[in-house]
Amino acid sequence: MKRTVDVSIPIGPIHPCFKEPARVKCETKGEFVLSAEVELGYMKKGIERIMRGRPWQEVMFLAERVCGICSVIHNMVFIEALEQISAIFVPDRAALLRVIVNELDRMQSHILANFSYCYTIEHETLGMYLLDVREHVMDELERITGARVTCAYIVPGGVRFDLRHEDALHMRANLAAIEGEVVRYMHMFESGPLIALRSRSIGVLTREAALEACAVGPTARASGMPEVDRRLQHPTYQKLGFIPVSRTEGDNYARIMVRFQEVLESIAIIRRCLDMLPEGPIRGGGIPGAGEIAYSGEAPRGELSYFIKTDAAGRVLDIAIQTPSIMNIEACCHYMLKGVASLADVPSTFVSADPCIACTER
Amino acid sequence: MPLPLLPYLCEIVRLEWVRKFFFVKTAPLVTPSHFRGFPELTGKTCTHALFCMMACPAPGAIDVIKTTEGWEPRIHKGHCIRCGLCVEACPNGVLTSGRILESMFYDHTRLSFSFRIDVDTNLCMGCGNCAVACPVNKLIDAQMAYGGRASTDQLLLKVSEGKCHVLHPELCTGCKTCENHCPNEAIRVSRLLEAVHIEEEEI
Repeated sequence: MKRTVDVSIPIGPIHPCFKEPARVKCETKGEFVLSAEVELGYMKKGIERIMRGRPWQEVMFLAERVCGICSVIHNMVFIEALEQISAIFVPDRAALLRVIVNELDRMQSHILANFSYCYTIEHETLGMYLLDVREHVMDELERITGARVTCAYIVPGGVRFDLRHEDALHMRANLAAIEGEVVRYMHMFESGPLIALRSRSIGVLTREAALEACAVGPTARASGMPEVDRRLQHPTYQKLGFIPVSRTEGDNYARIMVRFQEVLESIAIIRRCLDMLPEGPIRGGGIPGAGEIAYSGEAPRGELSYFIKTDAAGRVLDIAIQTPSIMNIEACCHYMLKGVASLADVPSTFVSADPCIACTER
Repeated sequence: MPLPLLPYLCEIVRLEWVRKFFFVKTAPLVTPSHFRGFPELTGKTCTHALFCMMACPAPGAIDVIKTTEGWEPRIHKGHCIRCGLCVEACPNGVLTSGRILESMFYDHTRLSFSFRIDVDTNLCMGCGNCAVACPVNKLIDAQMAYGGRASTDQLLLKVSEGKCHVLHPELCTGCKTCENHCPNEAIRVSRLLEAVHIEEEEI
């Protein structure tokens, strides 16, 4: 069938609104986007190839360098997979501390994603405010782990550092301040008329389309699929008893609002962890042994899966990582971008799915 | 004519504004004490245990060098990823970084090491280079013959019936000399790192 295509417009790989290089090719009729295709492969690292044959104590650090924004969850999923292989027990205190650090990481990742959306729709003031809040979250992360991004906090059988009493008090005070600010900015986002013009009913991903594209994480939860949250299957999170956020609109606005709500939910989870934190050791010991497993956890962007095969000395013989962004980019390019009314909305719709190209290409 | 400019001028040379302009109010950026930087020396004596090198996940990031005063760990900043494992691994507290040393003391945490030697019997041709080169073997039996044969069984490695056998793996110090001397890459030493909690009386 012959289609009337005015022009095929490439957006990227270098674009002021994209954090990382990816090319979106849009077939347009005037400003109307008929279809879109994504071209990846501008920053392949080959990190799985580097990991193969190395002992776990090196792979642990490589795993958190897969992605700079969600490094804690890579560390957590890799180490928990090792623990599943060799049946290593984790003390209760360490399990809760892991959740605290993971939720702090999720908060900063979501705030950064919302910043880049605000920046893409040219609302730089709100973006700037959000980055300011993110610094407070990063400060908390640094206070516990000693580093802002590559925390290296989780080791087999426990965590590396304990949370001190005065740090916990500090964290509670800081969380209250962060919560107040996030609520304020959420209201700004909700009530901004220009934001609504650029966000509401743009880039709609219906529930059926999300199922078809296997969308995960906040992108799927904004289309009314709260059950995709992998945290529901995690034993520690089950103890905390949380309800995943979801919305039904499925547009850019809903995706950003889901992230805002998840930040607030993360704060609630951290508070519950701090309340429940028992006294006791933070390391249970244990040496990873031979075995193979496929294990997954909930990254800020969705389901993250590791397939690991190790030998008796703890060397990683084979490893495959499946990151959430690849599904979300697929959902974005083949479903959301179809029928976007204006080319100016293409970068903002792409950014609203929070694509992490570093994860996707590894 | 100069009169209409006066309000603007007043606006510009407002004392409050001028003060803000010349005296920056933003607090200076300081590195917090809990920041995990490059490991630094504490001044305690290094005993050349080499646990720092064994724990280090980055290739070539740390060396232990002999100086006129004795052994001293040296960090290569281009390679170091600031994970702080060397600080945790050192039995003598020679290195420090951020709050790691004190938190190890408060949290009763330690990194413990053990070593595992794997000999691939398909590749091993029983040349005995590993057993002869092994520094632990040298301490036990200085008279070890070429080919790695010996009369005693108290050794770490020994060649018998044409293959290398690991007799006492608990003696291994993880130096990897055997691995470097093997012509067939048949022997491999792996470090088994374990993050453990220790009771108070053991400190």
